[in-house]
Amino acid sequence: MKSVSELTDFYYKSLYPTLEKLEKDRKNLSHRIIIVGIFLTVIAGVAAYSLQGFYEFVLFATIALGGIAYKFLVHDYTHEFKMSVIKPLVHAIDSSLVYASNTHVSDYYFENSRLFEKPDKLSGNDYVKGQIEGINIQFSDLHAQKKNQNSKGKDTWSTIFQGLFVVADFNKHFSGETIVLPDTAQSTFGDIIGHWLQSNNMARDELIKMDDPAFEKEFVIYSTDQVEARYILSHALMKKLLDFKHKSAHPVSISFVGAHIYMAISYNKDLFEPSIFRSLLDYKVAMEYVKTLHLAISIVEELKLNQKLWSKR
Amino acid sequence: MPTSLIILIIIVLILALMYNSLVAKKNQVENIFASVDTNLKKRYDLIPNLVASVKQYMQHEKSLLEEVTKLRAEANRPNLSDGEKISLDAKVTSALGSIMVAVENYPELKANENVMHLQHTLHEVEEQISAARRAYNQAVTDYNNAIEMVPTNFMASLMNYRRKEVFEIVESERKNVDVKELFS
Repeated sequence: MKSVSELTDFYYKSLYPTLEKLEKDRKNLSHRIIIVGIFLTVIAGVAAYSLQGFYEFVLFATIALGGIAYKFLVHDYTHEFKMSVIKPLVHAIDSSLVYASNTHVSDYYFENSRLFEKPDKLSGNDYVKGQIEGINIQFSDLHAQKKNQNSKGKDTWSTIFQGLFVVADFNKHFSGETIVLPDTAQSTFGDIIGHWLQSNNMARDELIKMDDPAFEKEFVIYSTDQVEARYILSHALMKKLLDFKHKSAHPVSISFVGAHIYMAISYNKDLFEPSIFRSLLDYKVAMEYVKTLHLAISIVEELKLNQKLWSKR
Repeated sequence: MPTSLIILIIIVLILALMYNSLVAKKNQVENIFASVDTNLKKRYDLIPNLVASVKQYMQHEKSLLEEVTKLRAEANRPNLSDGEKISLDAKVTSALGSIMVAVENYPELKANENVMHLQHTLHEVEEQISAARRAYNQAVTDYNNAIEMVPTNFMASLMNYRRKEVFEIVESERKNVDVKELFS
């Protein structure tokens, strides 16, 4: 598999002609967006002045109209960007991978991961699927939301999870469920109260205390089986997961359910979207696409998922 | 209701909770030891097969093979205490480890599919044993903490609960396998 630096090379060398063209589109687009923005603001100002009131309504209408206009304006550019930048990048990492810009990891996998509560709305894009060293892997950008009702009876949407969601085959047999979540309780409330809160979490299975202090500090583990949880989370795997967490620099939740390993990395934003107000040739912008893709696909290698046990061969 | 009665009820409640948590911890230890035991048994069942397959080749390691067979016979005795099982496990682990290292010196054995299959099965059982051991150690640590720490230690001494021993984790298990070393 190609390294991050090789991919960066690919981005700047092989994709350069495409990027140059896209960069022109991007500049035009950003000008158009600014003009439309100014135009809308002026109209809103005039409307507010002539109506002498209804300020909330005017503000709401302007924001809604602006949102629709923005989506309409960036639509073609986004599609062009994904097809001519993200797709070649995915293929550069491994040519056997399939990329689809409009679909996402299915609801079935998301719910089956047991990582989050059942969402009322699941959307996403940038779906990648394929085999890396004989291991099935798929991932996509996901946004899971829950519908709440506020005191006025109005529906509001809250985010359960937004980020990268990865599903891969796991290299060991197991029958229960083991879930590894970021340790928020222990870091907020301290060891004793945090631990007490975790062990009384009714929504989850038994709390597992791991014999790796560094891992235990970052994560909280729940499982249906004390022994199986440790069979899955060997010392070696705990170390690798910890490294992965540090590399991703975002909260990571992991679960092991029914022959699969699920990883949810919360970025809290839509990934692989083209930058509009910053140059595509900007190193930071480029690195974000490259690094995120590499991170997801490198899971097989990083966690040594290809080293199957005898009975799974 | 008089205050003294309320205090009495609270004290009884606290005592009951302490009692229950101690019993739960003791049962957890026993429960997990059962699964350690199952996995150890799985490994003991592999030993005769392994010894039979490698015996004719490994003339120099005869004493090692005899020792493993003897340890297996010992482990199959009824009424072993948990402590005895733990110490037997440590001996078997190191003896089997030496046999596996010795296998590397015999090309005939490395080419033998049966031996290789046994070796992989053994490796998998070892991983399960290692997981069960770690789970057991955690349960015992929780239990030992409870019987030594205030306030449950008073209750534990009344209930005549004693410290339990943990498995010593073999240092080599903690290390990652160095693939380079295997091929050099």
